[in-house]
Amino acid sequence: MKPARFAYAAPDSLEGVLDVLDRFGDEAKVLSGGQSLVPMMNFRLARPEVIVDIGRVGGLDGMSVVNGSLTVGARVIHARLEAPVAAMADGRTEPLGGVLGSLLPEVARFVGHLPIRARGTFGGSIAHADPAAEWCILARTLDAEMVALRRGGERVIAAADFFETVFTTALEPEELLAAVRLPILGDDWRAGFCEFSRRAGDFAVVAAMTAVRLDRATGAISEARIGVGGVAGVPVRLPAAEATLVGEVPGAGLHAAAAEVAAGEVDPSGDLHGSAAYRRDLVRAMVARALAQGAGAPG
Amino acid sequence: MSWVGRSIRRVEDPTLLRGAGMFVGDIGGAAAVRFVRSPVASGLIGAVRGPAYTIEDLDADGVGTIEAVLHRPDYVRLAQPLLARERVRYVGEPVAVVVGDTAAEAEDLAEQVELDIEPLPAAVGIDGALATGAPLVHPDESDSNVMVAGEMATPGLAEALDRAHAVVDLEIVSGRQAALPLEARGSHAVTERFGGRTTLHASIQAPHMVRTVICDLLGMPEADLRVVAPDVGGAFGQKLPLAREDAIVVWLSRRLGRPVAWIEDRNENLMASWHSREQRYRLRAGFDAEAHLESLQADVVANVGAWPCYPITWGVEPLMALAELPGPYTLEHYGVRSRGVATHTCPMSPYRGVSRPAITLALERLMDVAAPRLGLDPVEIRRRNLQSDFPHTSPTGLRHDEGTYREAMELAVRHVDLGAFRSRQHAARSAGGPQPGIGICTFSERTGYGTPAFAARAMGVTPGYENVELSMDPSGYVTARIGASPHGQGLETALSQIVADEVGTDPGRVRVVASDTDRTPYGWGSFASRAMVLAGGATYLAAQQLATQLGSVAAEVLEAAADDIVLADGRATVAGTSVGVDIADLARIAHHHTQRLPAGAMPGLAVQAGYDPAGTFSNACHVAEVDVDPDTGGVSVRRFVVVEDAGRLINPMIVDGQIRGGVVQGIANALLEEIVYDEDGNILTTSLMDYLPPTVAEIPDIEILHLETLSDATVTGAKGVGEGGTIGAPAAVLNAVNDALAHLGVELNEMPATPERVREAVRTATGTPAG
Repeated sequence: MKPARFAYAAPDSLEGVLDVLDRFGDEAKVLSGGQSLVPMMNFRLARPEVIVDIGRVGGLDGMSVVNGSLTVGARVIHARLEAPVAAMADGRTEPLGGVLGSLLPEVARFVGHLPIRARGTFGGSIAHADPAAEWCILARTLDAEMVALRRGGERVIAAADFFETVFTTALEPEELLAAVRLPILGDDWRAGFCEFSRRAGDFAVVAAMTAVRLDRATGAISEARIGVGGVAGVPVRLPAAEATLVGEVPGAGLHAAAAEVAAGEVDPSGDLHGSAAYRRDLVRAMVARALAQGAGAPG
Repeated sequence: MSWVGRSIRRVEDPTLLRGAGMFVGDIGGAAAVRFVRSPVASGLIGAVRGPAYTIEDLDADGVGTIEAVLHRPDYVRLAQPLLARERVRYVGEPVAVVVGDTAAEAEDLAEQVELDIEPLPAAVGIDGALATGAPLVHPDESDSNVMVAGEMATPGLAEALDRAHAVVDLEIVSGRQAALPLEARGSHAVTERFGGRTTLHASIQAPHMVRTVICDLLGMPEADLRVVAPDVGGAFGQKLPLAREDAIVVWLSRRLGRPVAWIEDRNENLMASWHSREQRYRLRAGFDAEAHLESLQADVVANVGAWPCYPITWGVEPLMALAELPGPYTLEHYGVRSRGVATHTCPMSPYRGVSRPAITLALERLMDVAAPRLGLDPVEIRRRNLQSDFPHTSPTGLRHDEGTYREAMELAVRHVDLGAFRSRQHAARSAGGPQPGIGICTFSERTGYGTPAFAARAMGVTPGYENVELSMDPSGYVTARIGASPHGQGLETALSQIVADEVGTDPGRVRVVASDTDRTPYGWGSFASRAMVLAGGATYLAAQQLATQLGSVAAEVLEAAADDIVLADGRATVAGTSVGVDIADLARIAHHHTQRLPAGAMPGLAVQAGYDPAGTFSNACHVAEVDVDPDTGGVSVRRFVVVEDAGRLINPMIVDGQIRGGVVQGIANALLEEIVYDEDGNILTTSLMDYLPPTVAEIPDIEILHLETLSDATVTGAKGVGEGGTIGAPAAVLNAVNDALAHLGVELNEMPATPERVREAVRTATGTPAG
């Protein structure tokens, strides 16, 4: 339970971080809040040669609203998303309202415990890519964009392309995840999130996020997103279940029908915390409840 | 006013709460010891290569083997080496040991050690180990994996079952649990350069016993080994048996001539420290037409792991089940076969409650399963069966002293307002959503037993008695040196209250010295809910003697009859007068002005007393209210009520703390914590990501009410209470889960009742296909 030997770098500039990553490539690992990396190093499951601590780099911990997106800096700690405050286009800083502003605190309270939320970071969670992590599910469901920097370059990776498999992302070894852009959902959206975990603060056994857009004239669903974690190596979207919703008016019967399709659409494997059949059962319950929560009804 | 019975603050706490405690890991200044452990459940050891010590080095030094003995014909006797010899028998078994300058370097060294092990098939679960042709854990010593097998039946059992009005069959499964002390195990040994005496600091429960066995193993006089248990961060039975690692730490310190320390990490603790509780009960119970439990036949199997524990042996779980299964009920005809089965898994030690959480689960599920078949509710069936005439002798010959078995249940049921709960439950069943359930558990708990009880188990070593040395120094302060080894329970505080009452001082003038073989009389440490009864009883007897000594000095000084001297509030006074003298002055006289003592009196104020009672039964009723989500199988405990009768309460606050901690571990047992192996014997729960103790979010407030039946079997009237919380909570919670889902026809008799198991039971009961 003591880490293997490693070198430690703590550059005070973004350039410095990118230089270290460029030089050491996959021998280096970025340390932010350390809530996942450090335990893995103590178990010697992760044995990086070089640790690049980004804690001294300025500019990675901002939240701002630009062009209909909320940009969350990689070093923003989970706790700040319990009551998100962002810089607006006009320069003012104010609490984030709207559908996303309600959704983020609802999700944040499921992330670990208070001490974890006070140290662990949004970007760290995304880059770590645990398939049951709340922020990864959120990023996948809302089609977030990941902003990756490397020495002399920047690229934007869509969530659909970002998560490759368990703990594995499309980030290149030389790249740093600098920020994540989340779409600000208009007031015609309804979002819900429901999670089942063994204890308060544990990773989800299964969690589901739903976001549906309502036609203002008819009240029917014009666009639907269902993202589920805990059923595959990455958080997944469930297009067949989403399709069941489109064109229909939300209600308990519709939610149950979509949940049934969702349960049939996932292909989980089992582990200590839940067999494949049990996880499928949970998908049914979580999707139905997230939809009901989004619609403002009790699950 | 008496100090006994008051919730004074614990003298232990200021140190601990300020972070000023001294645990083994705080000592420092030592090289780091790391064990290289078997990665496979069963196999033959070929070469061990690398910078490590192995069994060959121990053999070369003539180090002995551990022999945990029961003198029973059905007991398989083994000699256990300190490191694996020829074979490994469980994942985590220590095979080699390395010493590094730091913990990280020791881990690096351990990685360099190569183990050539030829894997063999493993026996893992109870059924696998009992099957014909099962891989044998100790093939040279036994042709079966049954290591101990007790059997008994009262005459007339078969006839009683035949004529029963109703027969209920039930199978109960208790999962494997780990005690999970906050501080894992650890030891630190220093050998003096001149004289060669060794001091071992270890996180243990029984320092004197550990000294004896380590000296036996290493062939050294006990006078040359000092064993100290410094602050110990929880033990719960896991630190009662000898740890092989601790003996090796002493050996290394003597061999290398440098201080060495082994600080167990959580991964090792979960994988390779002692486990407990994996048991299966098959019951057949006969009830008469009035719902009296007349006859009970039981088949009990305990998975006892790969090796016995010293000195308790691996008979402790199955044989306790055999002796104590009749529980608090007036059962007449009883038959049982109880076996301990070896497997290629981590060895077992008794964990808080030992077999009684599973025994109680079996009996209390039996009552709840039988009740509706007999047209009764859970309260009425217990009312008809609980013992009420005391002393009661059980079918296995145990004497139950007076208790409040029925009264505790009636009080608990009134307190929770069962009628109001049933109305809420009725409403929730039509509304859907989370389903409330309520569960009752009544039990008695055999506690505070001395040597006779251990001797009855035919143990090769019979622990039991406790000794206390009590002295008053010239300043009038009392020092109690005890053989018990408290580690957080608050015993120091409670003993000071007993002393204060007897010698007329206040608890602030009493110091308790414990857990150091150089400074305390031989004793058996703290385990088995015994310290308050045994160390408390010995302290009480010693304090009375000290009071007599003080009284005779006072009589001489005050020129009064010794019988007329009253000791209270720091003074000795002549009864009915204001004539008196400060006790501190008497203490000074007894040491410094001995010419004033009665002719022939010995100088000083020092006494010694021992105590070795037969034992007593405390009792309790636990009630749990839960919400069960039928769609996910998730269970939330909403309310928990305990009515406890632990006899005389020395310090009620401390008793409440003991109960609360135990209930939390019991809820964990019922719902969360489970050590899991795969079919090849690989342990899957090696971190706190996978082994799930409850957090504060999973535990409700625990309401505690007391009844106080003074025991006639102990000198203080106190009964043991350290384990009760863990014993009652699992059955209360499981009964509540079953009650919540009773309308669906669910019957769930396995713990922990994980969400998946609950959901599976709902699916089975409602005929919902999997997935």
